[in-house]
Amino acid sequence: MAEEFSTDGMLDMFLYESGQLLEKLEGIILEKKDEECFDDADINEIFRIMHTIKGSSGIMMYENITKVSHKLEDVFYYLRESHPDNVPHLELVEKVLIVSDFITGELDKIKDGNEADGSETAILEDLDEFLNRIKGEIKEQGIRLPKENKHEEPSQFYIAPVASEDSHFYQITIHYRNDTQMSNLRAYSATYALKEIAENLLYTPEDIITNEESAEVILAEGFHMLLQTKSSKEDVIKLIDSSEAEKIDFEEITAAEYGKGLTEIAQEEAPIIINLDDDKPEVKEEKKAPMPGDYVVKAKETGKGKTLAKNQPKQQSIISVNVEKMDALMDLIGEIVIAEAVVLQNPDLKVPGLELSNFYKASAQLSKITTELQEVIMSMRMMPLTNVFQKMKRIVFDVSRKLGKDIELEVIGENTEVDKNIIEHISDPLMHLVRNSVDHGIEENVEDRTALGKPEKGKITLEAKNEGGKVYISVKDDGKGLKKEKLYEKAKNNGLIGNKEITDFTDKEIYRFITLPGFSTKEVITEYSGRGVGMDVVVKNIQSIGGRLEIDSKEGFGSEMTLVIPLTLAIINGIVVQVGQSSFVIETASIKEFVRLSEDAIVKEPNGEEYIVLRGECYPFIRLNERYQLPDSQGKVDNGIVVVLEHEGQQVCILIDRLIQEQEIVVKPIPSYVKKVKGLSGCTQLGDGSIALILDIAGLIQGEERG
Amino acid sequence: MAEEIKEELQEEDTQKGKFMTFQTGKEYFGISISYVNEIIVMQPITAIPEVEDYIKGLINLRGKIIPVIDVRTRFKMEPIEYTDRTCIIVINVKSTVIGLIVEKIAEVDTILDEDIVPPPTLGHKENEQNKYVYGLARTGNTVKLLIDPEKLIKDEDMEVIEEMQEEEQE
Repeated sequence: MAEEFSTDGMLDMFLYESGQLLEKLEGIILEKKDEECFDDADINEIFRIMHTIKGSSGIMMYENITKVSHKLEDVFYYLRESHPDNVPHLELVEKVLIVSDFITGELDKIKDGNEADGSETAILEDLDEFLNRIKGEIKEQGIRLPKENKHEEPSQFYIAPVASEDSHFYQITIHYRNDTQMSNLRAYSATYALKEIAENLLYTPEDIITNEESAEVILAEGFHMLLQTKSSKEDVIKLIDSSEAEKIDFEEITAAEYGKGLTEIAQEEAPIIINLDDDKPEVKEEKKAPMPGDYVVKAKETGKGKTLAKNQPKQQSIISVNVEKMDALMDLIGEIVIAEAVVLQNPDLKVPGLELSNFYKASAQLSKITTELQEVIMSMRMMPLTNVFQKMKRIVFDVSRKLGKDIELEVIGENTEVDKNIIEHISDPLMHLVRNSVDHGIEENVEDRTALGKPEKGKITLEAKNEGGKVYISVKDDGKGLKKEKLYEKAKNNGLIGNKEITDFTDKEIYRFITLPGFSTKEVITEYSGRGVGMDVVVKNIQSIGGRLEIDSKEGFGSEMTLVIPLTLAIINGIVVQVGQSSFVIETASIKEFVRLSEDAIVKEPNGEEYIVLRGECYPFIRLNERYQLPDSQGKVDNGIVVVLEHEGQQVCILIDRLIQEQEIVVKPIPSYVKKVKGLSGCTQLGDGSIALILDIAGLIQGEERG
Repeated sequence: MAEEIKEELQEEDTQKGKFMTFQTGKEYFGISISYVNEIIVMQPITAIPEVEDYIKGLINLRGKIIPVIDVRTRFKMEPIEYTDRTCIIVINVKSTVIGLIVEKIAEVDTILDEDIVPPPTLGHKENEQNKYVYGLARTGNTVKLLIDPEKLIKDEDMEVIEEMQEEEQE
């Protein structure tokens, strides 16, 4: 390595930044895939993204990424400069996606601590061929070719400067925007880029890599460079990454001035001119409002300038924070809430005759702030589904093209926010559902669609909505729908359901067959789906985050798969109940109703099992105090309250002594040292610092069935 | 590995040979101080149903929920009422944090390696606690039973039960 410095912090930054850029890139591509061509703003944006990735991967010495992004940059440079109007748009879209996939793949490897060792040759050749093709077509039409955006690959070794006769000398000062982060690294990347063409390069501050404080110096005074090169001014400007630069002062100087070195020149105020003989008027150089005697090249193209301005607030309003820090903050806030309760409910306050009105005023204020604090930290963990949905767009695009189906994807509610942990868990299952819809859902033959009076173009709707503390994400297609008879036969042939008749099952139960392990109705296994290991994994993944999958379908008119997931993993809405001395929490969503019954409503079987008959329905009945041998509970149905609970269509009734309150519960696991108890899923702290156990309805029902 | 190295290092330093001793009944016990996080006063305990009798339940240690076990019950001794002097020793054994309910904290004692003798191996079946006691040490007028916390929190019986349950589920 030519440059020896620690890349640990930079690597994180690089991965994060490149990831963001690639996401943006895919966003643009997918948005414009159905149009005739990219417009100028897009081309500029893609060019800029590739340029930035090229630059930063160059610094990080990921040569294959650099080469690939460089090549794509070339393509877009060409598009930008000569505006060819016969570019095969879809092919171009595909090429960009290939590049973006390649880089994403390499970044993933780097993230996992592996070498980025993917071979770039095939992609490079492919892009070369593509570029030559569109160029060739233009040549035939006799249009002047622009100068190629060609510069040598970044050299791994610093080449000692050699002075030569026809060298130009430039003084360059880059002023970064005040809010630019890591300006020293950006400055470094500028010097790195210039090294390719430089015969000699001096810059100040000199310790931009080793000294982080240099970033502030650069922001305050600008980054000064003296450059000796054979290249023309335009080439130099092009090499400097201008994405975060406010302005770039660019000045040609004499060899004598150059000899003086940087310090002297830097002190000379008011840069004089450039804008020398410019033979390319189409290079859009936006001039800043001219100040007297001060001509400045603003190294931004007009179109790009606009997009930048639009995106700028977005970029600056987001900072990335380590998740561990967030978790630590969340734990701390949890403790504050408890500490607050301990103070406000302190027994010392109960001494009679205390004058406490001021105390209560102050404590009301405190409670307000802590509640708000809790809300803020919760909202910090919430992320919109936009990124996940974007991935789905990509999948629909890829798969439908490969299968030759014409499919339109409609996305609704992509701004719905979900806890970050949950987003990580739903991405894969959702991908599976979308693939299934494209592959199995939409008909292969257009005739099958038109025969049913449906439009030729298939339609998949991806919708997210937030309702009653749950998030519903549905994948709906207007395809064939599920055939009940076929599902039934398949399940029977695979020995999944025994010998029951089809009439024994409700429609929903039959649809549920597709979630059984080892079930696939697709006769031919395709690249995308059909192995039958899919849906059961989907269901498992969803259940692991406390969600469920609902399936609905109408034969001939499509099916709808809905993921119902909780908003957050860490907090549930629960009702605190008391049995004897113990407190339990029941998730509000699983409570169907509370009833007061008399002992007559209980049916007792000889083996000790009890049932409740309620409005003609019969439910299993559990007395919590007996189940868990809790002392001090009267356990009388007449005095207690019966809670009817429901989980996935199964009901169970439990008897409790008292309802305490409904509140938001921060779920904590029971320490692993204690063996797992059936019917308990975790524990939580109540306002007074005591601990309540969270009832797991599924476990209760299961225990009941076994018993 | 890392833990072993850490333990070795800890034994090298000033904690070497220091034991937290506590009294239960007439007997004194000692536990190497490198395991001890802190000592707290008795807390309200939330009982967990369907667990071993010596696991008394959960306590809230400044936002962290940890299980507590009663040392007397663990040693199959008669349980006693908790009093003002009853304490919870919070220990950390291989990142498992657990509270030990003890009758009375005695003191921190220095016990040299050469003063520790292994417990008699005569097969006293009824002397169950030998399982957890790896050495005896005489300091002052008392004999202290030195406890191996790893054995204390690990219960062979429990493991067997768990394994059986797992097999059952499969």
